[in-house]
Amino acid sequence: MNVIDYVFQQLVNAVSLGSLYALIAVGLSLVFGILNLINFAHGDMMMVGAFAALLLESAGVPFPLALLGGVVFGGAAGFVMERAAFRPVRGAPDVTMLLTSLGVTYILENLGILLFSASPRNFPLPVWLGHVYKLAGGRITFTNINLLTLVFSVLAFLFLYWFVTRTGVGLGMRATAEDLVAARLVGVRVNLVVVVAFVLASAFAGLAGLLWAAQVGVAYPLMGFTPMLKSFVAAIIGGFGTIEGALLGGYVLGALEIAIVAFLPPSVSPYRDALVFALLIVLLLFRPGGIINVRREVKL
Amino acid sequence: MKFIRPLVVAAATLLLASAAMAQQPIKIGGAFNLTGALSSLDVPAANGAKLAVKEINAAGGVMGRPLELVVYDGKTDPATITNIAAQMINGDHVVAITGFTDSDSALALGPIAQRNKVPFVTAGATSPLLPSQIGNYMFLEPFGDNVQAAVGAEYAMKNFGGSAYLLYDKATEYTNLLAGYFKDAFTHAGGKVLLEDSYKSGDTSYTAQITKLKALSTQPDFLYISAMPDDIGTIVKQVRQAGIDLPIIGGDGYDTPLLVQVAGPASDNVYYTTHALMTMDSTPAVQKFMQAYKAEYGKDPENAFAALGYDAVHLIAHAIEQAGSTDPTKIRDALQATKDLPGVTGAISYTNGKRVPQKQVTVIGVKNQQLYLAAQLAPSYIPTP
Amino acid sequence: MRAARLVLFAAAMVAVGLAAPHIGEYPQRVLLVMGIEIIMVVSMALSNGFTGVFSLSHVGFIGLGAYASAILTLPVTAKHAYLRDLPGFLGHVSLGFLPATLIAGALCVVVAFLVGLPLMRLSGHYVTVATLGLLVIVNVVLVNADAFTRGSRTFTGVLPYTDIWWVLGWLAVTWLVCSRVAYSPFGRAMRVSREDLVTAEAVGIDVLPTRMTAFVISAFFCGVAGALYAHYLTSFSPHAFYFPLMIQLLVMLVIGGMASLTGASVGVVVVTILSEVLRNLERGFQLGALHVPPLYGASQVTLGVIFILIMVFRPQGLLGDRELVLVPRSRRSRAAGMPREETEVQA
Repeated sequence: MNVIDYVFQQLVNAVSLGSLYALIAVGLSLVFGILNLINFAHGDMMMVGAFAALLLESAGVPFPLALLGGVVFGGAAGFVMERAAFRPVRGAPDVTMLLTSLGVTYILENLGILLFSASPRNFPLPVWLGHVYKLAGGRITFTNINLLTLVFSVLAFLFLYWFVTRTGVGLGMRATAEDLVAARLVGVRVNLVVVVAFVLASAFAGLAGLLWAAQVGVAYPLMGFTPMLKSFVAAIIGGFGTIEGALLGGYVLGALEIAIVAFLPPSVSPYRDALVFALLIVLLLFRPGGIINVRREVKL
Repeated sequence: MKFIRPLVVAAATLLLASAAMAQQPIKIGGAFNLTGALSSLDVPAANGAKLAVKEINAAGGVMGRPLELVVYDGKTDPATITNIAAQMINGDHVVAITGFTDSDSALALGPIAQRNKVPFVTAGATSPLLPSQIGNYMFLEPFGDNVQAAVGAEYAMKNFGGSAYLLYDKATEYTNLLAGYFKDAFTHAGGKVLLEDSYKSGDTSYTAQITKLKALSTQPDFLYISAMPDDIGTIVKQVRQAGIDLPIIGGDGYDTPLLVQVAGPASDNVYYTTHALMTMDSTPAVQKFMQAYKAEYGKDPENAFAALGYDAVHLIAHAIEQAGSTDPTKIRDALQATKDLPGVTGAISYTNGKRVPQKQVTVIGVKNQQLYLAAQLAPSYIPTP
Repeated sequence: MRAARLVLFAAAMVAVGLAAPHIGEYPQRVLLVMGIEIIMVVSMALSNGFTGVFSLSHVGFIGLGAYASAILTLPVTAKHAYLRDLPGFLGHVSLGFLPATLIAGALCVVVAFLVGLPLMRLSGHYVTVATLGLLVIVNVVLVNADAFTRGSRTFTGVLPYTDIWWVLGWLAVTWLVCSRVAYSPFGRAMRVSREDLVTAEAVGIDVLPTRMTAFVISAFFCGVAGALYAHYLTSFSPHAFYFPLMIQLLVMLVIGGMASLTGASVGVVVVTILSEVLRNLERGFQLGALHVPPLYGASQVTLGVIFILIMVFRPQGLLGDRELVLVPRSRRSRAAGMPREETEVQA
């Protein structure tokens, strides 16, 4: 296979992975932008979405509806999480909120293991989703799932764009992200904005979760932790707290991860995660605003 | 005359006491990671163990006394495991311990059992290094990874060819060891590894590695992929989706319903070495076990580790009977002397003072998404652990 | 007065040390691990609670200390058996427990210094995230540096040096050093920079050295704790020093009180006892005529819920920023920084 085919195939892989990271990163950025909260429990929303879809499918629900169900359950879980765990600590120092999110993820993951056992479960897919496209005489391949991931991601982002620019609540979100107190003073219903942000973020994560499970073929309670960490890095790479940053960062990280494994020698590729996090540290030191250079007040 | 009464009372008391003692259960420790990341393998093993205890008791117990399995959850945490070891040995006074399907946990508990001279029979940990690392009270119930890797290498060499592609997960002990033993056995038999690569468990896409494989100028005869149950379905599926139809072979990490469930038609032409073929057209022993498991738990055994947990308890019970005593040291000696004890996962013998058993390896193949018995062998060359 | 308190304290520790072998193996093990974890959490309190720099990298130092000390104390025969690729002199040398522990601690100090120089300039979320990245990097290195660490394969055969006296000894050292630092004028500078960075700099406090000192000292004791832990477990792999341990230690730190050294210690004791009780309860029990079946995993969920409740109702932890007995009242009020809550309750 020649170099061009090789590169193109890796590009296809990178876009697929990047879409997933972007979906998760957007949710993280959304919540951080408004509340200054790093939500470690965000990854568990992936678990909720994936398992909801899985259980619905096993109950006989057709795939498109199960997919919708996964997204809806993800959003609902976000709602519950906000009211039960984060609303009571709103206004507390950032550290308290971060620790609360750690507590939430601890509970959710162990609850997941209690209910579903830690074993991975098969994520059933309708046959047409597994259809393989072959380009360049079979040297470049991708499946319907990859295509679906890209399509859904783009749709999700378009929806989000419309939401934050054209709806009242969306505008309120942007105002709150800029300055919570001022937004409240001018009459923005901050409580509602926060709830909507959580629901949206978690719904996106739920979607990412079930798409991830579709790509991998299995779902398990601990599935969200590592993707959440990676998406976190992605969001910071792009510019933490902004939607555009999350999008950009997601695809950049996807490309970076694939590139490290694909183009560097096999002795280096096991260090992939270390390299990614080293890059993170370098970024935080020299360009904490990420690629789009977000300016944020540094708060203790 | 006067002391007939007290004599009778004394005799009666003695009889009652020994009857009561006879009813006192013999306790075996069951250490399993029922929660935490490794529970997918340990829970079936625990189920198998509990089933074995139930059957043994229904048949009259051991030496006329009921067997009791004292189960503790290790939580996949080494500090907790050392705690439960102490609880089992000093609190419950178990005469033997069984459990765990991974080396890390076995190594956390093993030294404590060894120090207290209580035999520990691991249900599913396959590292052949364990007995030498822990001591003479440590026994493996399953065969060692060096044995199954060697069988994999020999089978592949004979049936597929002399050049291979090797892929494994660097971050797990099991996959690491297995890949190393395979390379050792394969090159010893004259084979050549064209490309060796690693992956990270839990990734969505292994396409980066697969693309590197496709880019090789000469394609290998087969792929040896050393993987855990969580990943193998995905890897196989993606390999086939990329258009690679070469035979894939690996170890008992493939022994999971997920292989066929996740990979679907892609699982054809996949082979793996394992402890037993757990389908209804396998040996009578397996069929009987599967029926009993289903009756007790309402589902088929999830994987061969259920059978391994079951066999480990029978192994210990047999040793206790042979020793005729509940003295842990005597039980250890009886375990060492085990010869040709039939089990669901094959006949087990410990020969030459070794505590890794002499057991045949089952090679399973997948065709039309059905499992079938491809071969049953013992290897001719065993890599040193 | 101070000397009398210290003597009492020393006597109490000796009493614990003498009583330990007689309380049964299981309780003794719980006690040992508790002692080691107190060292870990107290050093975390010094670095996180007192400087306000919330770092998540401590478990990385614990892991480094564990591996470094274990490699150093491993007998030469064992090294030849399965650490064949150890470079240079490491393969032929085998040290005693104390030198190995000190070297492990020193290694952590060096790494902390190098890493802290850039990282301690960051604040707030950035430093938290950066130190999280550091933890991941350490883990990846441990997994891949086969020649030193056996990679992901279990590192076993470590000599079981750790006993109650080593733990008590290091515990005393940790408490002494950390309390000296935390309640010195230096410590006051730390706490000022925690409360208000701008003010601190305005009054001429050089923030970086205060943070670095706390970070480096904390790394040292984490390395020591790692060495103690390694020689207790005798078998471990890199996964033992990753997120599960980090979350466990954080729970203990937070429940006890992050800005208090004795709070951290209390947190460890409370959480350990609670976990053990819950763990034994979840195996199922008899309550009169009621038989409660086993529910494995319930203890973790329960702990998580308690954690959240503390976050909601008492985020400063059980002790807040007060200390128990050990720090004499007069010294404390002289060195008092601005308390984290409005109402300061006298101990």
